[in-house]
Amino acid sequence: MAGATIDHLVAFTIFLAALLLFIGFYNQINQTAIVYQYHTYIATKCSDVLDSMLLNPGSPSDWGLSDSSTKNLTFFGLQDPEFQQYRLSPFSVMRLLSPSAQQYNNASWNVNGGYLLVQSSECIGYHSVTSMLGINGTYDFQLSITPTITVNISQIPSTDLKLEIQAYGTGFPLSNANVNYLMFWATTSTSGNYPVLNYNLTSNPVQTDSSGIAYIEFPALSNVTAFCFIAEAYTGGICGTGYLSQDTVTNAGNLIPYIESCDGGTASMMLAQNPQTGMGNLYFNASFYALPDNFVPAQAGNFPGTVNSGTPNQNWTITTNNQTGFLVVAYGDGSNCGMVITPLGVESIGMPVTFGANVSGKNWVATDLRQVLIGDIAYQAKLSLWSLQGYGVTG
Amino acid sequence: MMRTVEVLIAIMIMTGAFLTASFFAVLPSPRQVSPLNLSRLSLTTLETLDAEGGLSTVAFDTTNDTAWNQLQVALSACLPSNIVYNLTAYDISGTNGQPLYSASRSISNAQSLGVGSNAASYMVASSNVTFTVTPQKIAATLYILNCSDSNGWWITGYTVQSIAQQFLQMFSSYFNSSSIVMVQNTTQLGQLMSGQPLGNETLQNAIVINTCGEAVPIPQTYAINYSSEYDEYCYQLGRCVNEYNWTWVSIVGYPFYYVTNTVQLASIQNTWGIYGMYCDAAAGLNAFLEGIDNQPYNYNGNWLTSDVGVVSLTTTALSNCSYYGIFPSPTQTATRALPASIMTQYNLTRVATTVLNPTGGTLPGAVFNHIFTGATNVTGSLFALGVTRVPDTRLAALGILSDYNPVMYKSQYTAAGTSALIVLQLGLAGGS
Repeated sequence: MAGATIDHLVAFTIFLAALLLFIGFYNQINQTAIVYQYHTYIATKCSDVLDSMLLNPGSPSDWGLSDSSTKNLTFFGLQDPEFQQYRLSPFSVMRLLSPSAQQYNNASWNVNGGYLLVQSSECIGYHSVTSMLGINGTYDFQLSITPTITVNISQIPSTDLKLEIQAYGTGFPLSNANVNYLMFWATTSTSGNYPVLNYNLTSNPVQTDSSGIAYIEFPALSNVTAFCFIAEAYTGGICGTGYLSQDTVTNAGNLIPYIESCDGGTASMMLAQNPQTGMGNLYFNASFYALPDNFVPAQAGNFPGTVNSGTPNQNWTITTNNQTGFLVVAYGDGSNCGMVITPLGVESIGMPVTFGANVSGKNWVATDLRQVLIGDIAYQAKLSLWSLQGYGVTG
Repeated sequence: MMRTVEVLIAIMIMTGAFLTASFFAVLPSPRQVSPLNLSRLSLTTLETLDAEGGLSTVAFDTTNDTAWNQLQVALSACLPSNIVYNLTAYDISGTNGQPLYSASRSISNAQSLGVGSNAASYMVASSNVTFTVTPQKIAATLYILNCSDSNGWWITGYTVQSIAQQFLQMFSSYFNSSSIVMVQNTTQLGQLMSGQPLGNETLQNAIVINTCGEAVPIPQTYAINYSSEYDEYCYQLGRCVNEYNWTWVSIVGYPFYYVTNTVQLASIQNTWGIYGMYCDAAAGLNAFLEGIDNQPYNYNGNWLTSDVGVVSLTTTALSNCSYYGIFPSPTQTATRALPASIMTQYNLTRVATTVLNPTGGTLPGAVFNHIFTGATNVTGSLFALGVTRVPDTRLAALGILSDYNPVMYKSQYTAAGTSALIVLQLGLAGGS
């Protein structure tokens, strides 16, 4: 009798343990399947949100061109209202507030002598966008819009000015590509302190080799010339652009261009001395060039001026007629010169833009990619999206 | 001991069940769980490559190795390095029993596209093909008043001749060349009123566009005969419209407000200092309406029109804007809108076309058909645009085209060798 009882107890214990073990196994399979299902949903959501951003211009559709429209934005979208499909408005993209923005949207701070500093109050913030997209509190995202073709320009050692242009895509060098370029350089004036802004806008196209590299030499310019160089590489229907500007710090500091507002076909610029105190006179000569798709710039304004400790900033309103282009500034203290450049419309000098939350450390980030055009320049729009509600977000 | 053995057997059964279930419960690979939308990436890549027509050119130049190499470089450069691709161009022919799509050239960067791939197709047209739109010809004569001996009013900034040229340009493709007649002077207008065509054109059922704005050219003989009451000339004009079933087009303002002849009325000014013009005021339109309805002439100086402010294009007119490629402003200001009451008073009973939305009992822009009581056929029409100056000739053109509705015949890319299909298939490199 006792033996049968022990037999029952042992058998029951073993059966119970085995049952719990198998329930655990089955549960693990189910959990993994459920997690996979949520991940698939996030990937689908990522694709939908990206298309939603890229395939509608927003409302009002001209919000990129107008400060007041930006403030009254009711629906978010980046499409160029004058086009269809995946073609983005260069002005709307310029108004995306970068994660590190403070008073100014720090999309670019002195990257190769280029600045893209739009006043934050004229930009659209991340949380406004998530609300307009209907994903506030449920998903976070980061949108990066980067040129498909990277055009790197570097000065190489030589007695005269010699530049190396390297063009490459995300996976391959852009070999045998034609390269057009624009050259601006500054010289000290013989009649005054204002630097002279020289330019050569009629380039003879050069071609990249099999490594995607081309060289351009300017025998008339020395290797210490302050210059600003813009190059456009194109082949097989795809086009990229890049720049290099020599942002020299003179004895009177350097000059930083800010975009105060962009409204009604005009752009209000502020040229500020850096640092703002304790510096002598810094003379500058600024020009705005509209840059149409044919890469033949048209000068649309010139502004010479001086900044110093007493007047560290100068304001200038440019008539842009809603055309994209760039502002190139030659500055100097009378003996040394430097040059900076700022785009009006990101594509004119191929600037990238990153918008949204920080993606690092996030659990299961879905990404999706689209090829887009801004002006004539090929860009890639990459969206990284993740859930803020764990696996509980189902729709 | 028996129970323990039974439990062990049960455990073996459960293990077998678990293993069997695990064998069938295959979880998808991580790439399938969170896939890159390759179809969209493929389509946007094709669109980018064809932004300046580059892909379209290469697709029809399949023997040009340089161009295809450049395309491959561009394709490789713009796709991420872990993406493998195959781009194939297909000719679309289908003639002589051949298959509809035949592969003409292909480029790829891998032997295979991995375990999973997706594709997008893109139709391109040859740059040698011209897309044409041929309008149906309107079976009527178009008279454009281009009278050198007349002045205009409320055509501020334009001349009669410049407006006539605009109409000629806009309508040249909608009429046979022999059916568009520029009426060069008031004498020719008088000839038409007497029932004699200027050439071989058909006088009956014609359209007459008055380019003088609120003024109407008056032939010298009529100016002499009706010098005491110039509005009687407007009555005669109404009679002609009725008799010859013309469509009279008034492009701006108050119709027939002035009569103009720079020779016969050289010493008369229109009360605003413009000589060669007499102010009939409201009597001109009333007389015209009496004439079109074949009522006896009675002087009537009562004001007819209303200032109804901003009005908008009708839905049909907006639709026709796209159809005919004419895009006037969708909103207009109507300060001389005709009242709907003229429809019953003068048997203008049918509104054939409405360009501007009716408002406040008025029709600011409409084609009124005159039909006698008990009759069914149209005997004259008046298209009056009661908008304020300056006239927009596109609005008048839109109204006329909306009234006659000529069909636009569009060429299609159906001929062999004019279209190609590009298919870009993308896959992810590596294993699953």
